[in-house]
Amino acid sequence: MRQLIALGIALFSLGLGSELSYSQRDPNARCLLECHANPELKREIAPGQFKSLYVNYEQFKASVHKDKLCVDCHTDATAIPHQRRPEQIHCLQCHYQGNVVGAPVSERPEKYKESVHGKASARGDPNAPDCKNCHTVHDVRAHTDPISPVYRANIPKTCGSCHIEIYTEYLESVHGQALRNNILESAVCSDCHREHDLFPPDDPRSSLYPQNVANTCAHCHTDVKIMERRGVPVKQVEAFKKSFHGIAIEFGILRSANCISCHDYHKILSSRDPRSPIHPLNLAKTCGQCHPNASDNVARGRFHIIPSDPDAGIVFWVYEFYRWLTIVMTAGFIFYILLDLYGRWRHARKGSHG
Amino acid sequence: MPNEKKELREERTIERINLQLRIQHFALMVSVTLLILTGFALLYQDSAFGRFLIALEGGFEARGLIHRVAAGLLMATAFYHLLYILFSRQGHEEFMQLLVTAQDFKDYGASLLYDLGLRAQKPQLDRYSYREKFQYWAFALFVVIMIISGFILWFHDWFFGLLPKWAFDVAIAVHSGTGTLIFVVLTLWHFYLVHLSPGRFPIDWSFWDGKISEKQLQEEHPLEYQRLKEKGML
Repeated sequence: MRQLIALGIALFSLGLGSELSYSQRDPNARCLLECHANPELKREIAPGQFKSLYVNYEQFKASVHKDKLCVDCHTDATAIPHQRRPEQIHCLQCHYQGNVVGAPVSERPEKYKESVHGKASARGDPNAPDCKNCHTVHDVRAHTDPISPVYRANIPKTCGSCHIEIYTEYLESVHGQALRNNILESAVCSDCHREHDLFPPDDPRSSLYPQNVANTCAHCHTDVKIMERRGVPVKQVEAFKKSFHGIAIEFGILRSANCISCHDYHKILSSRDPRSPIHPLNLAKTCGQCHPNASDNVARGRFHIIPSDPDAGIVFWVYEFYRWLTIVMTAGFIFYILLDLYGRWRHARKGSHG
Repeated sequence: MPNEKKELREERTIERINLQLRIQHFALMVSVTLLILTGFALLYQDSAFGRFLIALEGGFEARGLIHRVAAGLLMATAFYHLLYILFSRQGHEEFMQLLVTAQDFKDYGASLLYDLGLRAQKPQLDRYSYREKFQYWAFALFVVIMIISGFILWFHDWFFGLLPKWAFDVAIAVHSGTGTLIFVVLTLWHFYLVHLSPGRFPIDWSFWDGKISEKQLQEEHPLEYQRLKEKGML
């Protein structure tokens, strides 16, 4: 039967050769000719459940692996057609330190093993994503390629294929909205969560461990150029770190508020948005999460202030008053001490002469 | 024999500061020292000095606990002092002598002129001169400011229902600003006058035993000396 299909395809391809996406001389042609160029090719993996075995060769030839042979990865396909079902392959067959085929190596696969996804996969969770879930199988493209699933603009959709609810929340956020408006410097999932070294937030290595959150946001939110382009204040992270919350977090008081305690995380909204937890009308509730007596009073004042910065308003003036008072008094005391010593010296000298 | 008499007077001491005041001063000294050490630890937490202090105080939360215990001691001392000057005859008499008068400003001007050599006569100072009065009133004001701003910060959860957000930011600025000022006044004025100035260096033990030599009393507080002598207490 298989031979018959292959023959059929071969005859078909002879007739419509110009429409074929591969040349007869392509070393991969046999795999395709025989079977895998047929979009109908599939295997029954369970009663009534089929898995497509079709390979879109056009896409493969546009991938980073375009110069590879099918058998470079499917090494157990020693004869074509193969007699047994080839084993599942793994990227690490080539992407390991010291490989001779020139596959680029990074620490990423190692990091992946430690990540939430890698650990779930190691536990045998069938839903845990492997390399292929994000990078695809035959269509692996560089992250700089706009149609790659790991291209910045496509990352939320890629992660969203499993994390659907979070994806819809994200799309509503300022970051999601900006990305939809083609602002590629807006934050995508991996900017905060990382991608291969993605740890749960209670892991101290996580970019979202309470002590690391501010630094994670700081990647973009202390970047003067990005923030100026987007009209977002740039001193927020610095001010947070100088605030009591920031200092407490720094010294290991993890229950202290960090950025996401007030700003939310996937659905981060502008303070002008009435749905935002930092909208003035919602602040009492937001602060009330930790400070039960918080009332609308918490909205009366500026947030993220640096006392030495004129933007701090009244706090700046109090700070300046104390600064100058301290300077003047220090100078005054030193002057008095010097005068006192001089007086004592003068009178002692006069006394000894007299 | 005037010389013999003078030497004798130098050895003879009198108790100038009574036990009541010494205990109050001691409580104030201990609490303020702890408050400054724990307060500066937080104020300079981003420097090696601050981190050293925090480590010395047993960590971040222990630092806060020590600060609040010391604050409790300071407030108790301040409250006790208030009762002392209001309801005890002895305390009330001391307090009345601490009220600022026009004479204090004259004495201050006169002492500057005397030091500069523009005035021959040393100003005649009483038990509490402009020097002591400035220390007393500056610290009284500082303690009130620190207690109010510190209270707002300590019980911020309660005050959240009462005060606007900016009031807490102002309280932090006032608390740290006044704290720094206290340190400056303490080291450059109080310490200089009582311990570090020539004749007293390195330490004057009167804060412990309350004693002063008759010679020193005559030099530094001639009016008080005169009064005590007239009363026949020397």
